Amino acid sequence: MAHQSDSDTGLEDQRDAGQASGVSNSDYDYSNFYYSSSDDLFAIFGPYDDWWYGTARRNGYYLFSQPMSTPPGARINLEEQLNHEPLELLNLASYNYLGLSHHPEVIAAAKDALDRYGLGAAGSPILSGTMDVHLTLEKELATFKKKEAAMVFPTGYSTNVGLLSALLRPGDWVILDQNVHASIVDGAILAKAQVRFFRHNQPADLEKKLRGTTGKRLVVVEGVYSMDGDIVCLPEMVEVSKKYGAKIMIDEAHSTFMYGAEGRGVAEHFGLEDQVDIHVGTFSKALGGQGGFVAGSQSLYNYLMGFARSRVFSCALAPAVTAGVLQALRITQREPQLRATLWSNVAHFRGLLSAAGVDVGDSTSQIIPIMIRNDRRILGIAQKLQQAGLYLQPIIFPAVAKHRSRFRVSISASHTTAQLDEAAAILVNTLREEGIL
Amino acid sequence: MSRLKPGEVQYQYRHAIGGFFEFPIEHARKLLPSSMAPIEMHHGQGILSVMMFDFNGSLVGEYGELVLSIPVAPRIIPGRPMPRASFFPFLVGTTTKASRDHAIELWHLPHFMENIEIAFTVDEHDIRAAAAQGGQSILDMHITDYEWGPVEHHYQAFEQDATGTYMATMAMNAQFSENEEERGSLEIHPHAFTAGIRNAGVNTTPFRELWMRDGFQTFQPLEKIGAGAA
Repeated sequence: MAHQSDSDTGLEDQRDAGQASGVSNSDYDYSNFYYSSSDDLFAIFGPYDDWWYGTARRNGYYLFSQPMSTPPGARINLEEQLNHEPLELLNLASYNYLGLSHHPEVIAAAKDALDRYGLGAAGSPILSGTMDVHLTLEKELATFKKKEAAMVFPTGYSTNVGLLSALLRPGDWVILDQNVHASIVDGAILAKAQVRFFRHNQPADLEKKLRGTTGKRLVVVEGVYSMDGDIVCLPEMVEVSKKYGAKIMIDEAHSTFMYGAEGRGVAEHFGLEDQVDIHVGTFSKALGGQGGFVAGSQSLYNYLMGFARSRVFSCALAPAVTAGVLQALRITQREPQLRATLWSNVAHFRGLLSAAGVDVGDSTSQIIPIMIRNDRRILGIAQKLQQAGLYLQPIIFPAVAKHRSRFRVSISASHTTAQLDEAAAILVNTLREEGIL
Repeated sequence: MSRLKPGEVQYQYRHAIGGFFEFPIEHARKLLPSSMAPIEMHHGQGILSVMMFDFNGSLVGEYGELVLSIPVAPRIIPGRPMPRASFFPFLVGTTTKASRDHAIELWHLPHFMENIEIAFTVDEHDIRAAAAQGGQSILDMHITDYEWGPVEHHYQAFEQDATGTYMATMAMNAQFSENEEERGSLEIHPHAFTAGIRNAGVNTTPFRELWMRDGFQTFQPLEKIGAGAA
């Protein structure tokens, strides 16, 4: 059935009328609608729709999930969702850090696999869904990561959920940086493990949270944190974890294939690959594909094969995507200049922002937050940026703390210097017009 | 102050300040009736809400109030505004007997039955409130401001005593500031008032700081929604 827009159905008008009845929720956000009590499971839908159609959507929430009709490259086409106008925008929002999602060799590999294997894997990886291309990818990943084994998962989310719920049981401890990805938190919850959060990137607080714990313990950090773009202080985290006998896991979703002399990630950058017990990464960021992986010992692989339920009970990664990811992996190893270009672009763009006095928080990576620190204004600024030709996603509460709202810039090796100059000019001019600078 | 509808009760305040503090969810559950569940902000972490009011206009004159409560799930009632938050106040202290008697009679709130003292110290961008009883400190809270703007926020409060379970709905109109900059603080002192929270692992830094000034609080008539505590 074709999806009908709200304007097609007239629902928007009805909601406007409902909103005029006096519901006051202009400063509400998603968090106001998470908890509710009622005898009717669907009772929350009414207040939520009142908020969504009455204020949220037109105040800027329409900027989320706008449909794109081009690859997530440096320039994109999308349909703006308030007035349904087509736009051509300079893209600083996609994860496509090395520009591989639309690399000709990647596309060719995926097309070949599509011809050879068909659309889907048609089975769980533990039953009929494993194809030779999956095993080739796992083998080449393990070699790349210099680990005994690597296991492929259908998504990055399912990687963390499956990994943590496979390893942890009620009574075990998992100690998380407070800024780790939702998939890590959800995996810990699914495992019914005891969870403690330590203050972001603070080894002293990690030690405080580890103190007094006994039994099986896992510390989880990320290589590059996705909202702030800062890097884990891994040497200190490893030292504290070892001191208390805890295992340590690093999620390098935003750092694998980019950090380290050979691109293996932040653990390589710090020379601590053998000190970290479990390495996680994704294919959806630097490789421009989809899926995730765990790299570690063969024993870890063997155990996950039996108990990583998010993988066991999912269809295997589509073979065309798997083949495309495999080709992207080979390109990253063959063409280290992609990483060099990325870091050159990052330095160039960071220099432009620095010269203009733009607040980028603690970022040192290819993820550069443009700190607005004003929840009421950021969505309006986002609309102006889009009207000026720049595609950037506003990040607001509850994804970040109140008044730590920001735009998240993702720099790619596929950006040209001229495009970065143009993007910085739009950004700086808009921030000046808005009085942010 | 605005014109009141029949049954509404209004309180005017110079300052109403609040801090939300993380503490283990099992402690939050202990402070709630079994029929209510605490809001869980992170897995395993509940919220302690500390509110302090400097009332300068009410049916019982000027007084100060300290409210300890646990945020719980809002109750959805068709046709009414979705509350911004809902609370179960588990202990209230006031600076006068008249205000205490009034709140117990009207709102069935659980009170500390002695007068307390509350001192507010207001600076340009922050406010401190110290609660004590007979010179013995109860708690000190420090809250900072951010951007100010006028609001009308709707809240719910649930109460339970031997006579029933009740729901109060209220609107808060004021100049309002809210932030999560983690610049505030809470110090809980040994005192009978703080017995339920003192060794409960309450974080001493609020993850959210709220400040309302020069406002008023308008209560709708209390509604009985269930039986009393066994």
